[in-house]
Amino acid sequence: MEPTPHILVIDDDREIRDLLARFLEKQRIRVTAVRDGKEARRAWLNGHYQLVVLDLMLPGESGLDLARWLRGQSDIPIVMLTAMGEDTDRIIGLELGADDYVPKPFNPRELLARIRAVLRRAGDQADVRHDPAVRGYRFADWTLEPARRRLLNPDGVEVALTGGEYDLLLALVERANRVLTRDMLLDLLRGRQAGPFDRAIDVAVSRLRRKLEDDGRNAQLIKTVRGGGYVLAATVDRL
Amino acid sequence: MKLYLWPRSLATRTALVLLLGLAIVQVAGLTIHALDRMDVQRLAQARDLAVRVASFYRTIALTDPGRRPTVLADLHRGPDLTAALAGSPPDVDMPEMPTPEQRLLRVNMSMVWMGAPNLRWREMVIYGGHPWGKVVVAMRLPDGEWLNVRAKLEPLRPWHSPTFLVAFSLMTAVAAVLTLWAVRRLTAPVRLLAEAAEALGRDVNAPPLPENGPTEVAVAAVAFNTMASRIRRFVQDRTELLTAIGHDLRTPITRLKLRAEFIEDDEQRGKILADLEELEAMVSATLAFGRDSRAMETVTSIDLAELLRTILDDAGDARPDVADRLTYEGPSHLTVQARTLSLKRALVNLVTNAVTYGGAARVRLALQDDRMVVIEIEDDGPGISPAEMDRVFEPFHRGEPSRNRETGGVGLGLPIARNILRAHGGDVTLANRPAGGLRARVTLPV
Repeated sequence: MEPTPHILVIDDDREIRDLLARFLEKQRIRVTAVRDGKEARRAWLNGHYQLVVLDLMLPGESGLDLARWLRGQSDIPIVMLTAMGEDTDRIIGLELGADDYVPKPFNPRELLARIRAVLRRAGDQADVRHDPAVRGYRFADWTLEPARRRLLNPDGVEVALTGGEYDLLLALVERANRVLTRDMLLDLLRGRQAGPFDRAIDVAVSRLRRKLEDDGRNAQLIKTVRGGGYVLAATVDRL
Repeated sequence: MKLYLWPRSLATRTALVLLLGLAIVQVAGLTIHALDRMDVQRLAQARDLAVRVASFYRTIALTDPGRRPTVLADLHRGPDLTAALAGSPPDVDMPEMPTPEQRLLRVNMSMVWMGAPNLRWREMVIYGGHPWGKVVVAMRLPDGEWLNVRAKLEPLRPWHSPTFLVAFSLMTAVAAVLTLWAVRRLTAPVRLLAEAAEALGRDVNAPPLPENGPTEVAVAAVAFNTMASRIRRFVQDRTELLTAIGHDLRTPITRLKLRAEFIEDDEQRGKILADLEELEAMVSATLAFGRDSRAMETVTSIDLAELLRTILDDAGDARPDVADRLTYEGPSHLTVQARTLSLKRALVNLVTNAVTYGGAARVRLALQDDRMVVIEIEDDGPGISPAEMDRVFEPFHRGEPSRNRETGGVGLGLPIARNILRAHGGDVTLANRPAGGLRARVTLPV
């Protein structure tokens, strides 16, 4: 059994704070909820947390400033709550080193899934943790930009990805030349796909191969590992 | 009364009126000129003829009657003059010359000096005139004998020369061209105004009209720009209002979603969450509508073919029951310059509509003339009645009442898609397919 993670939730709406705390505690996550940057700093100094859920829109000190401050303190994972569909917020947040973002109004179960995924990644291995300094990954002339969640082909043309495909590719790129088991991939895609997860992964991989022009029957880039898993066989440069 | 040949364009109408006026003035001027000229010619001809005929007469009158035939034969008469001595005026099939011309000739002849008063003709009859091309002057000599002179009359020439007419036509043509040019120039602001109004209809943020030119035009331009900025402010106010409402709704929706998680009854919780999803979709569409009118995203290259396939993949994942009716046909890669996120939203809206209302989305992508891409999205739904065709693009219009409550939506999908595509220099139009179903046709510059 995993130890109970402790999360710091920063949101200015008392109701949301209380409800979120209750919801997460029901899911065996310990929560400390505070309303603004001042309280957050105090709570940060008095506790030990595994993850921060941070609302971008805070009274007084903005969520972005607070994220910057937190990043200065440690590399604790941050999940940002952003304004719905405000892509610029998302991009800024991710560039500042948020590990994930959830648009408001969020689905509590999706937030939970993201929190778990980020915690698992954090608990994974230190060297594959999301590195805020990385503006992009280059592999086999392709470029993956986490801040903008986009993939550029060798000519610099964006190639669209679904959310699931992006998550899958990012996981593969961050762990290049290492086998990702089906279980790990299932975690990544959970909460995104409606269909059966097993099939979803195979479908997502085959679509990714098509987009990367990686011939499915003789795939060179994303290789299938016998026994259930995939590996990105390429040198990845961090930009 | 309806004038069928009356042109519709203001420029053509004005030009036509001006050219008609010009033509009337020119014709009148030419006529006056021709009449004047004929008078002068008539005068000159009469003087010339009078002098020649009178001199002829004097020579014969001074000659001894016996020698007159010889002298007459010897006299150099010129090719257009014949003369004969006779006992009476000649028998001609012409009437006497009209009085005004005859008087002219007589006055001129009487002014020729005869040497002695008794040599003057005793009687004179003049026949013919310009209509016959000749004139016959019969004069009775003092001794009773008649001298009949026939002279050819040169026809009157109203024009100086053919070059005069050419020059004149040329002048008229130049005046006409100048008129057309001036009229086009003067009516250009009207056309500009119409174009600006059209552009404003498409895009509220269209650039303002230049406020220069003639006073009336400048005043109209200023009035138009003022109106455009009022409309812009109105649209902006409305957009800001919608956005503010959307923002403010986020907090209560988030709370409700959290509260729903504490409801024990699974069925009720599911229904409440579904309602909230719908509410959220409405709010998010409203926010998107507000945001797109600002279009702050930068333009980048994107593979449109792959984007369409990704959208279809997503749609198929969300609705596995229709996945096999989501097809793509076209090149595997096609790069366009676009605001990626906006463009994706526009295309997602169209595909979602096709799936929601038509249970299918058959997407075709093709390149047209190397400058435009055409995307056609077909579904198998009931289509749209012609009366609804225009209205479906109005914000918050929600199709026929029979089908909208079940399928949700807030009536912004198509307006958002059209705003985005028009901001890209493209457009989207809808048409019912003869075989049934709806076809959305998107054009987009490469």
